[in-house]
Amino acid sequence: MIHSLFLINHTGDIFLEKHWKSVISRSVCDYFFEAKEKAEDPENVPPVLYTPHHYLVSIYRGKLFFLSVIQTEVSPLFVIEFLHRVADIFQDYFGECSEAVIKDNVVIVYALLEEMLDNGFPLATESNVLKEMIRPPTILRSVVNTLTGGSNVGDTLPAGQLSNIPWRRAGVKYTNNEAYFDVIEEIDAIVDKSGTTVFAEIQGVIEACVRLTGMPDLTLSFMNPRLLDDVSFHPCVRFKRWESERVLSFIPPDGNFRLMSYHVSSQNLVAIPVYVKQNISFLETGACGRLDITIGPKQTMGKMVEGLKVTIHMPKMVLSVNLTATQGTHTYDLTAKVLVWDVGKLNPQKLPNLRGSLSMQSGAPKPEDNPSINMDLKIQQLAISGLKVSRLDMHGEKYKPFKGVKYLTKAGKFQVRT
Amino acid sequence: MPYLGGKEAVKELRRALSNPNIQADPLRYRNTVLRVIRMMSQGADVSSLFSEMVKACATVDVVQKKLVYIFLCSYATLNPELSLLVVNTLRKDCQDPNPMVRSLALRSMTNLRLPSLVEYVEQPLTAGLRDRAACVRRVAVLGWAKLSNLQPAADLDAAVVNELYSLLRDPDPVVVVNCLRALEEILKEEGGVVINKPITHHLLKRLKDCDVWGQCEVLRVLQRYRPQSDDELFDILSLLDPSLVSPHPPVMAATLSLFLSLCSDLPAVSLAALERVRGPLLSACGSSSREMRFAALCHVQLLLRSVPGLLGEHYKRFFCGYAEPAFIKQRKMQVLVELVNDDNVGMLLDELKGYCTDVSMDTAQTAIAAIGHIGRSYSDRSLEILTGLLTLKQEHITSAVVQTMRDLVWVCPQCSDTVCSALEGCEETLQDDQGRQALLWLLGVYGERLTSAPYTLEVFIDGVRSEASLGVKMELLTAAVRLFLTRPAEMQDMLGRLLHFCIEEERDMCVRDQALLYYRLLHCGIEETRKVLQGRRSDPSLGVLIGRQAEPISQWASSFNTMDALKKAAVETETASRGSPEHVATKLKADLDLPKTLDCCPDDALDNLYTNPVLHTAVFIIHLLSLSRAARSNLMNTPF
Repeated sequence: MIHSLFLINHTGDIFLEKHWKSVISRSVCDYFFEAKEKAEDPENVPPVLYTPHHYLVSIYRGKLFFLSVIQTEVSPLFVIEFLHRVADIFQDYFGECSEAVIKDNVVIVYALLEEMLDNGFPLATESNVLKEMIRPPTILRSVVNTLTGGSNVGDTLPAGQLSNIPWRRAGVKYTNNEAYFDVIEEIDAIVDKSGTTVFAEIQGVIEACVRLTGMPDLTLSFMNPRLLDDVSFHPCVRFKRWESERVLSFIPPDGNFRLMSYHVSSQNLVAIPVYVKQNISFLETGACGRLDITIGPKQTMGKMVEGLKVTIHMPKMVLSVNLTATQGTHTYDLTAKVLVWDVGKLNPQKLPNLRGSLSMQSGAPKPEDNPSINMDLKIQQLAISGLKVSRLDMHGEKYKPFKGVKYLTKAGKFQVRT
Repeated sequence: MPYLGGKEAVKELRRALSNPNIQADPLRYRNTVLRVIRMMSQGADVSSLFSEMVKACATVDVVQKKLVYIFLCSYATLNPELSLLVVNTLRKDCQDPNPMVRSLALRSMTNLRLPSLVEYVEQPLTAGLRDRAACVRRVAVLGWAKLSNLQPAADLDAAVVNELYSLLRDPDPVVVVNCLRALEEILKEEGGVVINKPITHHLLKRLKDCDVWGQCEVLRVLQRYRPQSDDELFDILSLLDPSLVSPHPPVMAATLSLFLSLCSDLPAVSLAALERVRGPLLSACGSSSREMRFAALCHVQLLLRSVPGLLGEHYKRFFCGYAEPAFIKQRKMQVLVELVNDDNVGMLLDELKGYCTDVSMDTAQTAIAAIGHIGRSYSDRSLEILTGLLTLKQEHITSAVVQTMRDLVWVCPQCSDTVCSALEGCEETLQDDQGRQALLWLLGVYGERLTSAPYTLEVFIDGVRSEASLGVKMELLTAAVRLFLTRPAEMQDMLGRLLHFCIEEERDMCVRDQALLYYRLLHCGIEETRKVLQGRRSDPSLGVLIGRQAEPISQWASSFNTMDALKKAAVETETASRGSPEHVATKLKADLDLPKTLDCCPDDALDNLYTNPVLHTAVFIIHLLSLSRAARSNLMNTPF
C-alpha cells in the first residue's frame, strides 16, 4: 500500500525518508520537484502525480510536504486521510508540525512511523495507543530522562490496544475530574460589492478536553440539534443514538480530542456579524488610487466583535499606500503587496475607518479587477449558528465532575469582494 | 544532504560503542545508540557501525533493542553476512515472556528482508501465528506476506496458507484485516484471497469492529464477491447501509464502490445509493484538507456523469474562494459547468466571470472555457461576457476567449454572427500559438462575413517566413485556401505567394506536403476543392443543446475510488481545453482506424465527428476520401 514516505520542506529538501517495503531511491521525488517548479506556489502542487512506475500522493501541511510513494492501485482518499493522520499525530506529539520540530525529535518520529505502518499497512493510528508505546516529549520528561536514563519509548504493551475501546486507556485516575467543551464556529462567506451574501456557510467543531477517572459514559445534548446539516464524529460517538435521539452518547478518549465537526449551510441561518462599506478605485489617468473602508456591526447578537483584522492583497502595480486609520494600526508589505489593518475591538458608537490614497507604478495599466478584502474576527461566548449545549450527563462512575462549555465564533474564509 | 564531519563522528561513535566502560553503563550505552540513530536519520552513512550495533542488540533494555532494530532494518541489505549474527538474538527474543518484545523481534526479523535468512525466520513465524497475544499474531500474519515477497517462487507451504485462512476468524479485528492483506499478497498470482459466502458474511459481521483503515480493506476485497440470490444481495446491502453515510470519506467511498459493483445489474438501487452519499460527499468537498477536497471533487465529477441533477441546488458549495489552490479552482469550475440550469445560470456566469481575471493563467483559461461550455446552452449571456473579456486586451485572456469562441461556433453555428463581430482587432493582442490557430480557423470559415479577414491574413502571410510554429503555418494554409474560395479576388495573389513559399522554401515536410496537396487540389478544379474544404457544417437552424445524456453508471463504476478517478478527469480537461485540432485528429486516426470505420458505417462516423469541434482535420480527410476515385488517385498517388 504505502511504500515509502518522504518529508520535504517548502524549499525542496528531503529531510526525512522512511521505507516500509524496499528502499526506493530519492530520485523518484524528481517528478514531484518538477511539478513543484511548475506550480510556483507550493500550495498549487497537485496532490496526485503519476510516474511510470509509482503514484506520488502528497499533502502540504505546515510548510511541509508529506510525499508518499505508492506502487499498487489504492483508494486516493485513503492515502490522503492517512497522511493527514500522520501529520495530526506529529502535531499532537510536538505541539506543532514543522520542519524544525521534526528534526529535533527525529528519533521519536522514526519510532512513530514504525508503529503506524507495517509492511505499508496502517497498524496503530490512535493517538492514545501510540502515546503509551512512545511517550510524547515534555520539558520535564526530558530533564528526568537525562537524570535517570529513562526514554520516551514505553516498555510495556499498551493496555488500550487490546481493550474493546481502543481510544481510551484503562486505569485513568485524576484528582480533579473535569470535562470542558469548546464550541468553535468559523464563518466561511463571500460577500459581494453591494453587501449581499453570495455564499455563506458555518464550519463548526466541538473540541473537548476530558479528564475523568475510570470509564465514564457521557451524554451531551443540544437545545437545537436540528440545526446541524452534516456532522462527523469522533469514532467514540454512538451513531445510532444520534440518529434516533439527536444526542451525543460516548465513552470519551482521555485528554484533548475533537468530538465532532459539523456544517450549517442553509444560508438564511448564517448570520454575517459585520458589514463593510468600501470604496477602492484606481484612477484611469495618473498613478494613484483611492481606498476607503468602514466596518460596522451587523448581526452580532449583542456581543462584542474582537480581533478584527483586514487583509487586502493589492495588485502588483500598487507601490505604496498613504492611509490613515481612525482605530488600530495598518502596515503595507511592499514585497508581498499585502495591506494589513489590525483594528482590534469593534466599537459600535465609533465605527473604524481606513482611508487614503494608493500610489501606483507610473505607466502601468489600470488593474482590471479590484482586490478582495479578507476579514478576520472573533466573537467570544457566541456560536453564530445559535447552537447551544443544553446538558451533559455522566453514567458509569460515582463522582461528580466539573463541567464547562465555551463558545467562540471566528471568521474562516471570510471574503468581501470590491 | 551532505553531512559535514560525518567520518570523524562515525569514528568517535565506534570508539564509544566498543568501549567496555560505556557498555557497562546502560544509560550511556543507550544514549550512544541514540546518537547513531540520529545521525542515520540525518542522512549520514553509519553502515560501518553494523557489527558494533549487532552487539548492542544483546541487551535486556527494550528501548535500546527498539533503537538497534531500527538501525539493523535499515542497513541489513548492505551487510547480509553480519546480519546472520542478529538472527540468534532475535530468535531468542521471540521466546520472551513480554508480548511487546516478541512482536518487536518478529517484526524486525521480517523487516531485515534477506533471502538468506528465510530458513531461520519461518519457524518463529509459524509459532507467532499461534501466539496468545493478539499483537504478536498481527505481526506474524503480515510477516508471511513479507516473506513471500522475498521468495518470488511462491513456494510457501500450503499449510501456512490454510492457517492464514483459519485466522480470518481470529477474535482480534486487526489480525483479521492483516490476514486479508497478507493473503492478497501471497496469492497475488491466483487472483488474491478466495471470497466465498461464509467468508463474506463473516467479514461483514466483523466490519464494525475494524478501524477505518481495516474497513476500507475489507470493503475493497469484498468487491470480488457475487451474491447468489437477490435476497442475499439485499441482506448485504442493508448491512452496508450505515457505512455508506460514514463521516470518513475513505470508508464512504469504499462502500459506494462496493455498492456499485454489487448492484451492477440494478441501476435503480445504484442511483438510490448515489443519492444517499450526496451529504457525506458534499461535506468531503468542504473538508479542511485541500487534498481531500480535491479528491472529493474528482469523485463528484464522476457521479455527475450519471446523475447530472444530483447536486443542482448545492451549486454554491462549488464557488471558489480567493486563496484556494489552482487545482481545486479548476475542478470546481468543471463541476459548476455541469450544475448549470435556468434558475442559476445568471449567478453562475457572474461568478465565473470573476474567475476569468484570476492571477493564475491556467485558472483564468479554465474559467473562460467553462463559460464557453455554458454557452452551448445559454449562448447569448455567455457571449456577452466573452466579448466583454476581449476589451481587457490581456494576452492570455484574449487567446483563451478566441479558442473558446472557435469551439462554441462549431457546436452552435447560430452564434457565429456575434463571434464574427467580436473578432475585429483581437489579432493584435494574440501572441500564443493556440490562440492564433483558433483565430485563423475562424477567419477561414467565416471569412465572407468579416470584411477585414483578407487583410488580417495578409499580415500572417507576410510574416510566414519568421513563423516558428508548425501548427500556425498549417492552419494558415487551410484558412487561406478556404478564404480564397469565398473571396477569390482579394485572396488570389496572397494565396499564390503563400503556396509558393511553402512549396519552394519551407523546410518542414508537413507544411510542404499540405501546401502541395492544396496546390494539386486546386488543379483538380474549384468545385472539387470546395467539396473538400467546405464540407457539411452543423445546421444553423438547430436549437441550443440542452444538457447531455446521462451515462450509465457502469461506465465509470470501475474507476470510482481508484487513482484512475483523479487521473482520467485530468486528461479529459487537457484535451478539451488545450488540444490543437491537428493533434487530436491524429490521435483519433490512430484510435479509430478511420478508413475502416468509414467503410462500415460512414454516416455514423461522420455524425460522431461533427459533434466534436476540434476534429476538423479528420473531417477534412473524410471529404478527401469521398472524392471520386480518379481524383483521389490523382492527388494521393503522385509522389510529392
